[in-house]
Amino acid sequence: MTTTQQQLQHLYWRAGFGPRPEDVAAGLTPRKALRQMLRDSEKVELLDSPQMRYTEPLAQFRPVAPAAGKPQSGMVTTPDQTAMSAGMEMPVAGPQKDRPQPPLLRRQDMSAQQRKMQNQSIQQAFYAMNTGWLTRMATSPAQLREKLTFFWHGHFACRVRRPDAALYLNNTIRRLALGKFSDLLLAVSKEPAMLQFLNNQQNRKQRPNENFAREVMELFTMGRGNYSETDVKEAARAFTGWGYNAQGEFVFRENQHDDGPKTFLGRTGNFTGEQVLAIILEQPRTAEFIATKLYRFFVNDTPNPAHIQVLAQAFFKSGYDISALLEQMFTAEWFYEPANVGTRIKSPVELLAGIKRTMGLQLVDDKPLIVFQKALGQTLFQPPNVAGWPGGRNWIDSSSLLYRLQLPSVLLKNAEFNVALKQDENDIAPNLTKAERTFQQQVKTTVRLAPVQALLARTPAPQQAAALSRFVLQAPIRPENLVVIQQAADKAPAEGRLRTMVTSLLSLPEYQLM
Amino acid sequence: MTTRRDFLKTSVLASSLLFVPSFLHALDRQGLKDLRDSRGRRLVVVQLGGGNDGLNTVIPYRNDLYYKARPTLGIWEQSGILALDKDLGFNPAMTRLKGLYDQGQLAVLNSVGYPNPDRSHFRSMDIWQSGSASDQYLSTGWLGRYLDSNCPSCPTAYNGLEVDDTLSLAMKGDLRKGLALKNPGKFHQLTQNQFIAQVSRQQPAGAVSELDYLYKTLAETSSSADYLYQTSKVYKSAVAYPNSEFGRNLKTTAELINSGVGSRVFYVSLTGFDTHVRQQEQQGKLLGDLSDGLGSFAEDLQKAGNFDDTLVLVFSEFGRRVSQNASNGTDHGTANNVLLLGGGLKQRGILNNAPDLQNLLEGDLRHQLDFRSLYATVLHDWLEADDKAILGSQFERLKGLV
Repeated sequence: MTTTQQQLQHLYWRAGFGPRPEDVAAGLTPRKALRQMLRDSEKVELLDSPQMRYTEPLAQFRPVAPAAGKPQSGMVTTPDQTAMSAGMEMPVAGPQKDRPQPPLLRRQDMSAQQRKMQNQSIQQAFYAMNTGWLTRMATSPAQLREKLTFFWHGHFACRVRRPDAALYLNNTIRRLALGKFSDLLLAVSKEPAMLQFLNNQQNRKQRPNENFAREVMELFTMGRGNYSETDVKEAARAFTGWGYNAQGEFVFRENQHDDGPKTFLGRTGNFTGEQVLAIILEQPRTAEFIATKLYRFFVNDTPNPAHIQVLAQAFFKSGYDISALLEQMFTAEWFYEPANVGTRIKSPVELLAGIKRTMGLQLVDDKPLIVFQKALGQTLFQPPNVAGWPGGRNWIDSSSLLYRLQLPSVLLKNAEFNVALKQDENDIAPNLTKAERTFQQQVKTTVRLAPVQALLARTPAPQQAAALSRFVLQAPIRPENLVVIQQAADKAPAEGRLRTMVTSLLSLPEYQLM
Repeated sequence: MTTRRDFLKTSVLASSLLFVPSFLHALDRQGLKDLRDSRGRRLVVVQLGGGNDGLNTVIPYRNDLYYKARPTLGIWEQSGILALDKDLGFNPAMTRLKGLYDQGQLAVLNSVGYPNPDRSHFRSMDIWQSGSASDQYLSTGWLGRYLDSNCPSCPTAYNGLEVDDTLSLAMKGDLRKGLALKNPGKFHQLTQNQFIAQVSRQQPAGAVSELDYLYKTLAETSSSADYLYQTSKVYKSAVAYPNSEFGRNLKTTAELINSGVGSRVFYVSLTGFDTHVRQQEQQGKLLGDLSDGLGSFAEDLQKAGNFDDTLVLVFSEFGRRVSQNASNGTDHGTANNVLLLGGGLKQRGILNNAPDLQNLLEGDLRHQLDFRSLYATVLHDWLEADDKAILGSQFERLKGLV
C-alpha cells in the first residue's frame, strides 16, 4: 500500500511534471490536490515571447509570390515537402496578431548566406520555443494544462520548418487541451502546420492526397483496423479544399472541393471534412482509442482493458470531455495502486522538466537543455514522425541510459557533458560540422535546495537519506543503493551533504521511473 | 578519508562489487554462438546523410540528357570520370572505390527507392532506417529487428555496434538494441564513473518490471563496455585512414572487426550531403572522403583476412532531382544508387540498368528496385535471417547477389 505522500507525489508526477518540496509539505490529500490542479489550469496562458516570434530575415531580398492556391508542379515535387515551402502559400501563424509576413524566397533560389541566415533565424525561434516551454513545464501553476499539452503534442505529432506555424499549433492545443476532444480534433485538423505536414494543401478535387485522411483515422482517432482503404479514399475527397492562405489562416477553397456523394464508414452523403470528423467521433472505437492512449501515458504503459472500458464509455457519453475523463482517472482507486506507481519510464522531457521542477533548477544558459533532449532522444517540436515518440522502453538504450545517469552530476555538480549530436535537425541545418554538433562543457546552474532541506528538517541525520529517497523516488529504492547513498553522503563535507545525496539519488535507475 | 580498499572491505556491497554476476561473464563467450548461423559474416552499413546526389556519384556520362539537365553541374568525361560499365563512371574523387571495382569487390545498384517517395530528409531517413513503406510508421529499425529475430536470447548489446555517440533508429529493436560508441576507450571510461560502476553491478531481479529492465540494460552496457575495451586492444590498425571523422570511425570499425569482436552488424555515418549550392566542390570532397575511407577499410580487412566475410552497404536517404537548380545545386529527389562492397560478392560491377533519364516522374527518377528487396536479400542470403519476419512482408530477393 502506498502512503499518502507517495500518492500525492504520484499525482504530481503523472498529472504534472513532478512535486515540489512545498507541495509535499502542504500535505493535501490527492483529491484536494487534484481539485487545486484543475483550478490552477483553468486559465489559458499562451506560449509566447519576443524570442519565439519568428521573423523572416529575407524580407529585404527579392520576394517570389506566385498566385496563391494555384496547383503548380512545384507543389508536389517541392524539395522539402514537409518544410513550409517557400515562395508558395505560406502559413504565418503565431499567437501574435501581426500574422502576415512577407513571402520568402524559394529555397533553391537562395544564396548560401541567405540560407544560413534563414536557418539561424528558424533555429533561434525553435530554441526559444523549446526551452521556454520546458521552463514553463517546470514552473507553471497550470501543471495539468501543460502536461496535457505535452501529451497532445505527441499525439498530434507534427514537424514543420516554420516556427510560427509550429507555435500556433502548440497554442491551439494548449487552449483546447482540457476541453472537448471533438473541438481539439477539429481545430488541430484545420491548423496550417498540420495541413502542411500531412499534405492536405495538395489535396484537390482532381488529384486527392490521402495523407491527412489516413493519419486522422490511423493515429488521431480510431486506430488501424477500424476503417477500410475505401474509407480513406472517401474521407480524402471530403477534405479536398482544406488549406491555408498566405496569412497562415485556414481557408476552404471551394473550387478545389469535391462535393459529390461519398460513402464513408457505411454512410453516404455529400460529406464535408467537418462531417467526416463528426462521423469518426460517432464511433465508440474513437473514444476507446483515445482513452487507451491517455491511460498508457498517465497510468501504465500496459493497458488494463477493464479500467479502459469504463473510462472509454464515460468519455463517449460525456461527448468527449477530456477534463472529466482525467478526473475519473486520477480519482480511481486503481490509479494509486502500487502496480501503477513508479512503474513508468520518464520521457527525456519529463526527466528534465522533473529535475527542474523538484529542485528549482535553472540554467545560466538554456541551450544545453536542447543538447540533453537530443542526446536522450526527445526534442520538443521535433517528433520523429506523425506517430509521435514511441515511449516506454524505447527511451532506453545503452548510450541514452548512460547519459541519463550522468545528467544529475552535470546539472548539480558541474560535471562535464560530452556528446556529438546526430544530424537530426536535417531540415533546418543539415550541414553542420562535427565541431558545431559537439557539446563538451560544464553546465552552469542554480538550484533551490532550501525547500528540500526544510522537508528534512525534522528527520535525524541517519534517516535523512531514506526520507529523501521517498521524496525523490517513486519506485522503492533498492536497499543496497540506500547504503551507497548514505556512504557517499557521509564522505561529503557537511555543507555539500544534501547536494551529494540529491545528486546520487537522481543518478539511480530508480529515478528514471515515475 | 577511506581508501577504496577500506570501502570495499567494510561495505555490505563488497560481495556484489567483487564478483561480477555470473551471467555477465558467460556472455562474453556466448554472444556469438547465440546469434543464428550467419557463417561468421557481418554487415557494415554506411549512411550518407543529407541526400547524396547519385547522378554525380555514378555518372551517366554518355547520356546527353544528363548534360542537358545539368549544363553546369554535370561532370564531363575529361575532368577525370572513372569509367565503369554500361556507360557509367565514378565521380573523379572516387579513385579507391574504382580500384575495388576493378578488383571485383564492388557492385552498383541503380535507382533504388520506394513507392511514393518522401523528400524530407528526416522522414526519408526514417523510412530507410525503419524499413517501412512511405505511409507506415515503425518505432523499430530493420537492423534492430534483425537482432530481435536472430538473437532473442543474446545477453549482450554489442551484437550490433554503431560508431557514434547516440544510437540510430536503424539499430533499435523491440527486445534488443545495438550499442553506440565512439570508441571503446571512451565508452569504457563512461562506465567507470565510480557511482555508475557501483550501480551497474547490481543484478536485475528478472526482466519483467521496468526497473529490472533498466538494471539489465545497465549491467549489459557495463559488461559490453568491458568486453569491447579488452577485446579491441588485441588489434591496432596499421593502415592509414583519411584524417576525418569518417576515416576515424571506419578505423575504429576495422579495429573492432579485426579484434574479433562478436558483432554482426556495424553502422557508420558520413554526413553533409545536403549540397544545394557549391555542390560539385562539396560533394567531391565528401565522395573523396568516402572513397579513401572505404579504400583503407577494405585494405585493413583484407590484410586481416576479414573482407570476404564482410558486406558493406552504402546508401543515402534519397538522390537528387535530375535537373540542376538556379544556384548550381540540386534539390531533393527520389531514387538513388546503392553501393555494395565486400570480398564475398557473387556479382560485381553494375548490377542493373542505368538510371532512365527519359522516363522521369515530374523531374525525378523512378525507382527500379525497392530498397526493401535489397534488405531482404542481405538479411536472407547474407545474414541467413528471416527477412519476411524482419521486414513484415515478403520482398522479392535479388538472385545470386551475395
